Amino acid sequence: MCHRSVGLVQGAIERAGMPTASLSLRPEITFGVRVSRAAYVRFPMGNPFGEPDHPEQGRLVFGALLDLLEDATGPEFVELPYRWKRWEKWL
Amino acid sequence: MPNPVDTTGLQEKFDAWIGFVEANHHGKNNRINDEIAFQPLKKPLSESTVALVTTAGAHLDDQPPFHVETVAGDAGYRQIPHDVDQSKLRFTHTHYDTSSAEIDPNVVLPIDRLNEAVAAGRVGAAAPFHMGMMGFNPDPSELQDVSGPAVAGQFSDAGVDIVLLVPG
Repeated sequence: MCHRSVGLVQGAIERAGMPTASLSLRPEITFGVRVSRAAYVRFPMGNPFGEPDHPEQGRLVFGALLDLLEDATGPEFVELPYRWKRWEKWL
Repeated sequence: MPNPVDTTGLQEKFDAWIGFVEANHHGKNNRINDEIAFQPLKKPLSESTVALVTTAGAHLDDQPPFHVETVAGDAGYRQIPHDVDQSKLRFTHTHYDTSSAEIDPNVVLPIDRLNEAVAAGRVGAAAPFHMGMMGFNPDPSELQDVSGPAVAGQFSDAGVDIVLLVPG
């Protein structure tokens, strides 16, 4: 339900004039609630920016959100390539 | 740009999830955004002030915890100062495993990552505060009608340009 809540707040902020981007771990909910910019990452619930005390993982995901803000010229829902296992391959 | 999500079947899965919430969590009054509102960036990211929202149940140790004991959910919100002592963050949410967030709040509220982006010149500035919410809202009508606009208003009044949102 966190994802529906994110999407509804995200919509309210966009309607108030501020651009937004969100992360998603549940693509069907993010798709269904309809948002401007979102990035799906295949991580477990509770870990959208990766494992605790692994800032190198969070940096990749955070950077991807910033990229999405800069690159999207209209609504975009993208899937990040990172995987929970073998994350060293991302670097 | 990363690949787009394959949306095949997602609407059906969403509809099934709504049915699950209604059957198992007293869900009612499902809401979605009627249209996808899309605001282009008003200025470069490197000149923009960025705020964070998490629905992972984040609040400070001296703020009231979110109500998680009933099916009513909690559509409230808590301001979290950007310069917070992160050891004072608490995560009150019973519908996801909060153990990672309790070890390292940045897995759901990436204040340190935002600081790094500012230091690198990628982002102009961090907002003076972020917003902690609790995403378990079986009836999301108050969230959409009241809390969402209120959060947007507080960010707008604080000069926020861009908002990043994170689930639990």
